[in-house]
Amino acid sequence: MTENLTIRTRVEGKTVVVYVGGYLNSLLGEEVEKVVRELFDAGIRRVLLHFGETRLVNSIGISFVIGIVEKVMEREGRMAFCEVSRINRDLFRVTGLAKYVPSFETEKDALEYLSGEV
Amino acid sequence: MAGVRLFGTMGAEASFREEDFFGREEELSALTRAAVEGGRGIGSSFMIYGPPNIGKTSLLLKLAHDLRSAPQEGALPRPFPFYFSFSNILSHPLALSQHFLQEFLSQLLRFLGDEQPAAFDPEGMCDRLAALGFTGYRNILAAHAKYTAAGDGLSALVNALSFPFASGGDPFYPVFLFDDFQYTGKLQGIPDGAMLSILRPYIKSGHYPMLLSGSSPGRVTASLKREGLFGTFQMLEIGGLSPEASLRLWGSLCERRRVEIPASLLPRASERLGRIPVYQRMLAEEIFFRTATVTDAIGLENLYALSVTEGKLNRYWREFFENTFPDRMRRGRAIRFLKRVLCDRFPLDTVEGALSLLGASEEEGEAILSAFEFKGLMKAELEQLTFVGDPVLADFLYWAYERGVLGKGGSQVAASIVQARLSQGAPEPGQGGEHAQRVAVVKELMRKWDLREVPQLLLDYGRFREKFGGKGLLEVVMGMEGEMVRVRLPKISSVSTGYRAHRGGPRFDFDLVAYGFLEGDFSEENLVLWAVDVVPEKNLAARAVEHFESRCRLLALEKGLPADRLRKWMVLDDTADPASVDLAAQYGIHLSHSTQLRLFLNLFGLEELGGEPEGPRPAPLAASPGEKPVEYELVLPMKADSEVVAARVAEEVAAFASVDSDTVDRIKMAIIEACINAFEHSASESGKVRLRYLLSPEKIELFVQDDGKGFRAGKTSEESKKNRGWGLKLIRELVDEVEIVTGQDGTVVRMMKRFGGVPAGPDLPRKEAEGGADPAGSR
Repeated sequence: MTENLTIRTRVEGKTVVVYVGGYLNSLLGEEVEKVVRELFDAGIRRVLLHFGETRLVNSIGISFVIGIVEKVMEREGRMAFCEVSRINRDLFRVTGLAKYVPSFETEKDALEYLSGEV
Repeated sequence: MAGVRLFGTMGAEASFREEDFFGREEELSALTRAAVEGGRGIGSSFMIYGPPNIGKTSLLLKLAHDLRSAPQEGALPRPFPFYFSFSNILSHPLALSQHFLQEFLSQLLRFLGDEQPAAFDPEGMCDRLAALGFTGYRNILAAHAKYTAAGDGLSALVNALSFPFASGGDPFYPVFLFDDFQYTGKLQGIPDGAMLSILRPYIKSGHYPMLLSGSSPGRVTASLKREGLFGTFQMLEIGGLSPEASLRLWGSLCERRRVEIPASLLPRASERLGRIPVYQRMLAEEIFFRTATVTDAIGLENLYALSVTEGKLNRYWREFFENTFPDRMRRGRAIRFLKRVLCDRFPLDTVEGALSLLGASEEEGEAILSAFEFKGLMKAELEQLTFVGDPVLADFLYWAYERGVLGKGGSQVAASIVQARLSQGAPEPGQGGEHAQRVAVVKELMRKWDLREVPQLLLDYGRFREKFGGKGLLEVVMGMEGEMVRVRLPKISSVSTGYRAHRGGPRFDFDLVAYGFLEGDFSEENLVLWAVDVVPEKNLAARAVEHFESRCRLLALEKGLPADRLRKWMVLDDTADPASVDLAAQYGIHLSHSTQLRLFLNLFGLEELGGEPEGPRPAPLAASPGEKPVEYELVLPMKADSEVVAARVAEEVAAFASVDSDTVDRIKMAIIEACINAFEHSASESGKVRLRYLLSPEKIELFVQDDGKGFRAGKTSEESKKNRGWGLKLIRELVDEVEIVTGQDGTVVRMMKRFGGVPAGPDLPRKEAEGGADPAGSR
């Protein structure tokens, strides 16, 4: 089911928006992790994960997101989520992700947050 | 050189407070004997070692103080204790020689009764010594000036170190208290061990006891061995104070700082700090600045946790690591490594293992290990590594890791530290079917609260008993009608079973934690938490109340909640000790007896607690009684992503019941997780998973069955397994009931989700919570 692997990126100022589309499982999770890692290697420090096009999420996908958040924090980057569905917001809360990464209703709000100084 | 004033040794000496020194009688006695016997040419030398900050410097300074103030014994020469610390010296030998001379002359003059000279004037001090009858120093000083002018560092150093021995035949003899001796290995252009080589003849003579102290005995003993001096030295290891001395130190600190700590807590405070004096002083100051009063063990643990996460203890170790590892990356690596070793107790005793765990280049890894050894955090003997066992350092490392790597807030880490301490010896949470049933009833009750008002008497057992003790239920119901004082209950958004902070160790849970909102708006300002314990014992004892209160304070700390935002509620089973009722009132804990709860339940039209005995529980695979449900079945291959098919079927099935999209999402997610769990862990031979969907108007039941025999080791790498294991936890959040049963034919996961606000019976007890077989590690 490789059609689930849909990742797009868009640069907005110093931030890169990563659009996570489809089913966030281990394959997609791994891809997202790879994309974010490459962004960091290229010097990007602000990343917005956009979940507006995410249809389903499973716990393995979430475990990859946790791994990404850990790495971003380790490397002193900034991160935010946006357009997270109600159920995914709940899952992020249960897994503790919500404590470390703010979620925003819209991409615009998230970009505003990320463009601010630390 | 005139007019130059160097600071170093005097700093340490000036900060020593003799009245703060307690214990270490044996060590002092041995060192004093060695010092005194120098007068007869039979003085021993000592290598004093131990972790950083354990109190080696204080021991030397106390010895110096005692020797200086000891009365003269007959015509024997007096020992002159010369304390010199090498930690603050400049690394150039010329600077060291100059500093050494200054200290020696200045301390000798003071020993002989002169005042502290205002500035470093070696000629003037030599003249003053000559006036006191001690001649011969001026000539050596002239030689030193010559070497200094020529820039000959080694000769100047030899000259300076020989200075104290020019006092042959005088009525005193020097006893050397050389602190932080490992720093002598850092002198520029001077080979390691040269200092001992210079001092060798004097040490061998037995007339000049040398008491070397340092955090890194490995380096010094290697030099001693090279010089053939190792046999001349006795090794003296310094640890924490004795329990009794530590308590005496607390007594003194509390009195001086006017800090109030109950005597019964002091042994706990001592142990918490490893009985290390410098920590005791810091914590006493912390308490003084923060509250000045500690009333109980929880308060003590909280203050300690605050100190180690943001106060003095934290600052102390933070500065230590910043100085030892100025490079941030290296510091991070060092802290992560030490955290693994000291907190997680990663088994490690070889250099190769340490280098591997450090995960750095060999060169960097060795530099980090060398810094650990130098600072006394690690010892290397015969290639065997041992690390310092310091409880405060371990907690600091935990903080540094959680905050720096995982990005957690200070209060969260502090809460985890307190939890780890308080959980020791905590009573086991109540288990068993009856208890689980009572918890489920309370959970259901809370979900119905929705800003309704109830008589306050329902939450106050003491007053309730006073008013209605011995009366029948009808009388009580009638009496309650006149109760005007009411409590507005919050709108509950979620009730979870248990509360788990993150650190390892025993579970430390509440039976329930509910998130509610006071005015109906789901906003931060309105948030209120209810922590609930349903007492499993027949009789409520004061200890259980204490334990509950401890966890409540922990929860408030972890969540950063003000006191009025955390409501505490204990639900009694049968009786309560009067002391426990008083204690609950004192702590502001709501307390409800089963009679009160029955009235409570009646108000909300729910089942009674402790009513008719329950019939036998339905078999795991049977549908719920009542309306006949519609059944759907599906067999899935254990193939990547086929769980999505299961989710789509669930969506279609749920559509028949016209449930809201959020509930559908929850059902889909739950079934996805259950399928993934079966795929990953079942070790099924058929490679198939059987699903059943039972739909009735008020609920949907989902059964995921595999024919596996138990846990199958995953083929995934360690890295990809990281952060895993959320499956079952998520399922529990998503549905109302979960049950896992493993039998001969495989494992069945039963999940039930209710639709809308239909009253429900008690949850089934969870099999795995009763110690039943858990077929898969992550289940």
